[in-house]
Amino acid sequence: MPALANTFLFVEPDDNYLNYASVPLHQIIEANKQAGQSITELMGVDANPAKIKEVLSTLNPLVFLGCGHGSPTVFTCQNLAPLLHAENSQELALMKERIVLLTSCLTAQQLGPALVDAGAVSYAGYQQEFWFYIGDEAGASRAVNSPFLAEFQFITSLLRGKSTGEARADQLAKYDEEIAYWTTGEGKNHADSSELAQILNLNKSISVFLGEASVSPSPQAGALEGVPISPAIPFAIAFASVGYVIYKTTIAK
Amino acid sequence: MTKELANKWINKLSEVEKDLPLLLVDGYAYTPRIAVNEIMNGSVLGARLQALIEMGKFGTSSLEEQAIAKVRLQTILASKPQDKPLFATMSNKVFTPAQLMEEINSGTQIGQQWLNGEISRMSQIVRVR
Repeated sequence: MPALANTFLFVEPDDNYLNYASVPLHQIIEANKQAGQSITELMGVDANPAKIKEVLSTLNPLVFLGCGHGSPTVFTCQNLAPLLHAENSQELALMKERIVLLTSCLTAQQLGPALVDAGAVSYAGYQQEFWFYIGDEAGASRAVNSPFLAEFQFITSLLRGKSTGEARADQLAKYDEEIAYWTTGEGKNHADSSELAQILNLNKSISVFLGEASVSPSPQAGALEGVPISPAIPFAIAFASVGYVIYKTTIAK
Repeated sequence: MTKELANKWINKLSEVEKDLPLLLVDGYAYTPRIAVNEIMNGSVLGARLQALIEMGKFGTSSLEEQAIAKVRLQTILASKPQDKPLFATMSNKVFTPAQLMEEINSGTQIGQQWLNGEISRMSQIVRVR
């Protein structure tokens, strides 16, 4: 069965410093989710392999975003429990027909390409170490959030109806914006501004996107705002419905 | 670049950045603050430093880039509380400034990643407009 458009699964562990990722991610989801979207967040102990597989099976989301520690061949979740191995075809099949975002280290070396080879629509992740700053409590400052504001711009754009390719472009632009903030902007005289800019530079330079760039999991946010009501609307909705079915069929191939 | 523009350039940088080595002339590294002072004084050295800033280059070979990047990172990291974890990775590694400096000094993959990142950052700094 094709993955369901407008359906998102987020995996948000909170141990081993992963709360530094999951706290801003939750805030970003709350701020950007749109009416009609089906959003599931597996947080803390619920971010375990059994629960994730259950939700993948029942909800069949088009978009999967996982925060977790990683290696070239393995992606883990809560308690460092492995969810995906590059050499395990059954596990790779879990991500078939999905837009996969792994906020993790090193998975772009082998696991990411293996996921796309196994049928994932697209994959975004990192070739080497993804760095973040832990000088303050998780979520407590722009400094600790900054690497994730750039990383999660991808999902922000997807939630607001942009395509994978547009989301990727927005993500790279957000990296530049955050780097500028710590280099010449308001954050330049923060005690750790040099390292923060450094971290953002490093993460941007090893960021990887693979796969299909034209898939939009949701309608564009506000697409119908300001459009005058017209007698043609029922016909437009009918055409849109046909388009939606074609779209789902296309991405399911 | 006029003297006014050189001032504008340095004023955009952080206070820390103004005192980190960045520009190399005849084997000597100069900080932005010293460079702009030389430019303001109208010295021969100032003219050469000004030319580097105008070109957006720091005037080094790749070997010298590595050396300057290392000095910059040593300076930055030495100014931090050495035992407080400040950096982490999504491969479950945590580093204090001292531990990170050890990676850089030992030439590990992580240390090299930071050195290369610092060289890239130096490039950004000299091109700030």
